[in-house]
Order: sequence, then structure tokens, then C-alpha cells
Amino acid sequence: MSKTPVKKSTKKPAAKPVVAAAAPKVKVATMWLSGCSGCHMSFLDLDERLVDLSKLVEILFSPIVDTKVKDMPYVDVGIVEGCVNNTDQEHELKMLRERCKLLIALGDCAVTGNVPALRNQFTLKDCLIRAYEQAESNKICCIPNDPVVPKLYPKARPLAEVVKVDVSIPGCPPDADTIWFALTELLAGRMPQLNEKNMRYD
Amino acid sequence: MIAPKKITLTIDGKLCEGEAGQTILEIARTNGVVIPTLCYMKNLTPWGGCRLCIVEIEGSPKIVPSCTTPAQEGSKVNTKTDRLVGLRKATLELLFSERNHFCPMCQLNKGDCGLQHQGLAHGITGIRYPYLYPAMPVDVTAKYFGMDQNRCILCTRCVRTCDEQEGVHTLDVAKRGIKNQVVVDMNGTFGESTTCTQCGACVANCPTGTLFDKANAFRGQLVSCQQVLTTCTECSVGCGLKVFTKESRVVSVWGDPDSLVNKGHLCVKGRYQTWAEPRERIITPLIKGKPATWKEALAAIRKASDAAKKTERALLVAPRVTNETAQTIAKLAGKIGRIASYVGSNEAAFVAKPEYSANAMVKLPDADAIIIIGGQPSRDNGVVAATIRTTVRKRGAKLFIFLAPTTNLDQYANVSAPTPSQDESFWNDVAAKLAGVQRPAVVCGPDVTTADGKAVLARITKILADRSPLMVGVPVSANAMSLACSGIVPVENVGAWLAEKPVKFLHIVASDAPDGGARLLEDSAVAAQLKQAGCVVVQASYKSALTDAATVVLPAAIWCEKTGTVTNFEGRQLPVRSVLAVAGEAREDGTILESVFA
Repeated sequence: MSKTPVKKSTKKPAAKPVVAAAAPKVKVATMWLSGCSGCHMSFLDLDERLVDLSKLVEILFSPIVDTKVKDMPYVDVGIVEGCVNNTDQEHELKMLRERCKLLIALGDCAVTGNVPALRNQFTLKDCLIRAYEQAESNKICCIPNDPVVPKLYPKARPLAEVVKVDVSIPGCPPDADTIWFALTELLAGRMPQLNEKNMRYD
Repeated sequence: MIAPKKITLTIDGKLCEGEAGQTILEIARTNGVVIPTLCYMKNLTPWGGCRLCIVEIEGSPKIVPSCTTPAQEGSKVNTKTDRLVGLRKATLELLFSERNHFCPMCQLNKGDCGLQHQGLAHGITGIRYPYLYPAMPVDVTAKYFGMDQNRCILCTRCVRTCDEQEGVHTLDVAKRGIKNQVVVDMNGTFGESTTCTQCGACVANCPTGTLFDKANAFRGQLVSCQQVLTTCTECSVGCGLKVFTKESRVVSVWGDPDSLVNKGHLCVKGRYQTWAEPRERIITPLIKGKPATWKEALAAIRKASDAAKKTERALLVAPRVTNETAQTIAKLAGKIGRIASYVGSNEAAFVAKPEYSANAMVKLPDADAIIIIGGQPSRDNGVVAATIRTTVRKRGAKLFIFLAPTTNLDQYANVSAPTPSQDESFWNDVAAKLAGVQRPAVVCGPDVTTADGKAVLARITKILADRSPLMVGVPVSANAMSLACSGIVPVENVGAWLAEKPVKFLHIVASDAPDGGARLLEDSAVAAQLKQAGCVVVQASYKSALTDAATVVLPAAIWCEKTGTVTNFEGRQLPVRSVLAVAGEAREDGTILESVFA
């Protein structure tokens, strides 16, 4: 993705409650950073509840919709799966943060770093050598050095270490029921109160 | 004894009653007030390290940990104010931020983890602090368990367990500040540790995924398992077991905390060797090594048994079968022929006239001197050894060891004499060291029945004559004393016993002995007798050299598949409960004997 400078939002910050339940539809963007897409799959696990959700919500920008817009739109809610691993992801995340009113970190990778952050115990160089020079499946390759390829950061970071996160939904992936609870609470104008009854870490 | 003074205090507005000297946490728990904890464990010295049990006492500006603060009459304690909940959340977030506490790739998943439970209960979704991702060592050199320091929250439950329950203090904490970590011995590994007894108590008491059983890591949660209480039949102590099972397999074995014998503690035999060890199970009858039906096997046995005269038939029983099996044997004695149980060295005389040591495991920790004669509890009776170690190390009892090879107990001994001298000055020295001792306990092993053992026992009895010592006799074999009571003669020289009369039909009940009865073949005289006998029937659970040598092999149920009772060295009748369905075509020992001899 091209590195257009992040534009400052000209819109006024929304008054609380952040997300109003009334029409017009709440505009949503979702983003997939360093994660396995499992959280988006879990979102699709809402099944027939997606029909109810679509009456209240419009997804403008997402890996699971046919995005017609050229650039990232200004939205009410940004939902992010995965953690920040490279320069490009940081740029995208910061852009979304500028253009959304409420940012949701969806799933353990976004909240804690989780599996992508396992490499944080090691140096980046060691990780790349292991992955591209020693791994059996990759031995014919070399460490990618094309300037188009985004540069990896020395550490994978959860979203909260890069931007301000408003709502965290842990889980690997979060249950569809947890996602539904969080979204319906937000649509009702409340901050979701997650506890042992309606969330899990694994 | 003076009854402790009753005190009353208010916790969260509820009037709670307790005893003077109890901590706020103890009184809260007995009165049903929930205070979250991570490092606290009943039966361990309170540590006050995790800071989750903090409470406010009205009139005091300080916040105190309830697990270490004694309750005071009339005080008003609050446990759930906004300030406390906020501090607990911050504490948990700091714990989560430090090492790898990411649940998706933890072996201790979904419900067993104390840290996960507290995180969820406090509604922690994300944390406010940056993660540190330190690279911590992982030690998988122990045979049955491993330690992943990345999961550690430094609650020191393992350290206190190792010190206070097993009494070896293999584990401790080292280094300072952020580098603080649990270490084995002098920063070594479990595999090369000389002090670790592999008892696994630390694993059972770890609230996170740091210490884990290799046999069940990543194989599901214990909270969803069935739990059955039964009794260990590996030695004469008879420890209470809590067995976790799922889908017809044993997932884990813990000590039964309510057992008066072991109080939740176990040794490596009871915790791991019965189930975490790969062994080849026999699940069908075998005739000359080939699988057969029960009908065929019993017909073959009947033919051989009928061909032999009654005096030519012999039954050898492993001293680990249940009391019910012993009764079955006694009932069938008229039809069987010669009967004996094969016990360990010097054990025959030791168990022949059983003298049970009533309540020994309860009384032993009160002793101020423990004298071991002719026994190796640290090899044979791990939980007795642990009780002795903790009594010596924690309660300051003196320890004297006579006539036993050097073990890890010797380092704590005031006198350690593998071959005691007959010299008067030596015994005068022992008498001097025993002077002033009020509650001595004499723990005897099988070797006390030797001439040397009798001499040592006589000397000790003379020295302690005016102090009525607690006499404890601990056999090695699990149920040998009870078998002797049922009239089954204990025999240690099996070769000689077999040679007394010609044997044409020999039936060996090896039962679920981990070695499958192969120990019998170590005596070449027995091996020769087996070759001479026309028919050797072995009923065993595991394949071994003995079952290979047998004419007919009958599959026997293992410890977790049978029901009955065993009698431990204290004379307690302890229940053995069936935890799993019997595997394959195996049957219980008594049932097999009935179908063979009835």
C-alpha cells in the first residue's frame, strides 16, 4: 500500500455514547494485520445474526467485503484483528485510528501479540534466518530484500502499544457470542463489560 | 489442652467467627467470604507474594495481605472496595505483562489455570503495560515432568511444596528484581539434580502452566475429567489417590488431600510410575505365547492342574493383591495346594506376625527424634521419607539411621551408621544424643529382623526404655501383612520354597506389578524350578520375562481397574476403587483364581 501521509480527521469527536443505535447505519471498517484471519472467521460465525447486524451496520472496508472505495474511509468503528509486525501495518493502523471514532482490538493477537509475538524472545535476524534459510520448506529462498516488501519491526506489538484502543475483546479467536455481545452492547450505547461468563483467553 | 480463644470480626459487613491466631483469609474462607488468591495454598506457609488477597481494615490507612495478617477481635475488614479491586487488576496486569502468559499456546489450557481464572474473574481484557517477552529457560530433563519458566508468576508454591511437603528443598528462587526466577538446586536442571525425588508435588501445586506432567501436557483440562478417590498399592503406606480420568484413560494422579495417611502428598511411584510409564499390557489370555480365549486357556490349565497331585501344585502370590483376593485364596486353599506370597529380602519374618503401627503417619510428625533401623524409606516408602524429612528439617527432630545404605536422608542425620559398631563408646554417644528426647519414634524396615538389626533394636529399646517410643514397622511390599493375616505364608527365598517338594503345576499371581513379576527370575533357582515345572500359569497385567516363560498367561486387571481393600502398615483398611473399565479381556485377580481353582 502506498504511504500517503495520514490525514487529520476534520470531523468533530463524537459525543458519548460513541455508537448510537438509531439510523443511519453505523459505519464500520475491519482490518487484518498479523493474525490468522481466525477472528474474522469467528465474526462470520455470527451466522444468521449477520442479517440482523447488517440492518444496523454497514461494513465499508474489510478483507471480507468487496471494498469499492479507493482509500480508507472515515468510519464510526474500526475493528482490528492481528498485531503490528511491520512498517506497513503500523501505517495502516494509525490511519484507521485517525479515521474511526472507536477502535476495537479483536482477538488475542491484537490484544496481547499472541502467536506473532512469540518471536519477540529472539532477535529479528535469528527469526529471519530460521524462517528463510534453515526451514526445510524455504531453503531454496533467501531472506526477502525487495524494497516493496514492508520492513519487519524487531518486535511484534499488540495494538495498545501503538495506538489508543477503546475496546479489547480477547480470545483466540473470541467466540461469536462474545463478539455479538460486545457489538450489541456498543450498538446500545454501552461499553461492553466482559468477564468470565462471556469471554475467554484461549 | 486449652481451646483457642474465639474471636469475632466483620468481613464485608458479615459477622465472621474464628480462632485467635487465624489469618483474615482463613476466617474469611471458613465463613464463605471469597478473597482471590494465587500464591496462597492450604497446608503451605503463607507467603504474601501475589498481593491478590489484599484487604482494608477500617481505621488503618494500610492495605494488608489477608493471608499473612492475623485477624483481630472486632476489626472491620473490607475485601471488595473499588480501590482494592483496582489494585488487584493492576497487579494482575503486571503479572500478565511480565512473561509469556498467552493462553492459546499453553499446555494448561481452559480452566485449570489460577492466573487465567483470576484474569477472567476480574474482567481483564487488555493490559495497560507493555509486554516484556523475556526469554526464560525451559527444563524438560526430568523423566515425568517439565518446567517452562516463561509461564511462572513466582508464587513460590512449588518452592514451599518442595521444602515443606517433600522436605528436599530442591527448588528455590534466585536472582533479583526482574530477573528473579525459580531454580533447581544451584541453578541446575531436574535431570541432573541429586536432591529432587521426582515426587511431582510441585506440579500438582503449580497454579499456572509452568510445571507440567509430560504425560498429559496439551491433552485437555483436568476440570473436565472425572475424579475418583482410590488407594495406591505400590507400597505398604497406602496413600490416598485422586485419579483424573477422561475417555477411558488416566489423565493425572494427585494425592487425596483428605487422606489421613498422606495428606495429599505422593511419591514418584504413586504419582507417576503406575500410569505415566510405557508398558506392554496383556489383554488376552496367552497359551505358549499365542492369544487364546478364556475357555481354551482355562481348559489347558485344568488339564495340567488335574494331572498334578495336590502336593505338586503351588500358588505364588505377589504381596500386592487386595484383601478380597487373599480371602478368595484362603477359601480355595483346600483345592490349590501349597500357597505362599513372595516378599522382599528379610521381609518374611518382618511381616509374618503383623504388628500394625496404628496412626503412625499422624503421630510421626510429633516425634522429636526419629530412629530408622534397617529400612530405606526414601527408596521404598517415599511418603514416609517425606514425613521424616519434614519432621527433622521443619520441626527440629533428631534423626538416627542404623543399618541402611546411605540415602538422601543421611545428610540430616545426627547419627548415620550403615554398619553399626558394637563398640560401647559408639552406643554411649548415641545414648547421649538421645538424652532429653521426649517423644522418640522408631521406624523399622525389613532388615531389623537380621541379627544385626535385632542387636540395634535391643540397644535402642534399652536406651529409650523409660520413654515408650512410638514403634513403626514399614514393610516394602504393599499388602504383605494382610496376606500373612489371611494365612498366606510370606516367603523370601522362593527357590528354596519351591524345591521343598516337587512342583508340577505352578500358578503365579504377579497381578499388576510394574515389572510383570520378572523380579522372581532374578533368582536362578526360581528360573530352574520354572523350567522343571510341567505347567507355569502367570496371571499378570504387563508383559515381562516371566510371562514370556509361562505356559499360560492370564490377563489381570491393573490398580485402577479393580475394587477391594488393602490394609496399610498402620492397619487401616483402605478402599481400592475401580477408576476405569477393565481393559480387553482382563479380569480381576480373585475372579481369575476362582475360575482356575473352583
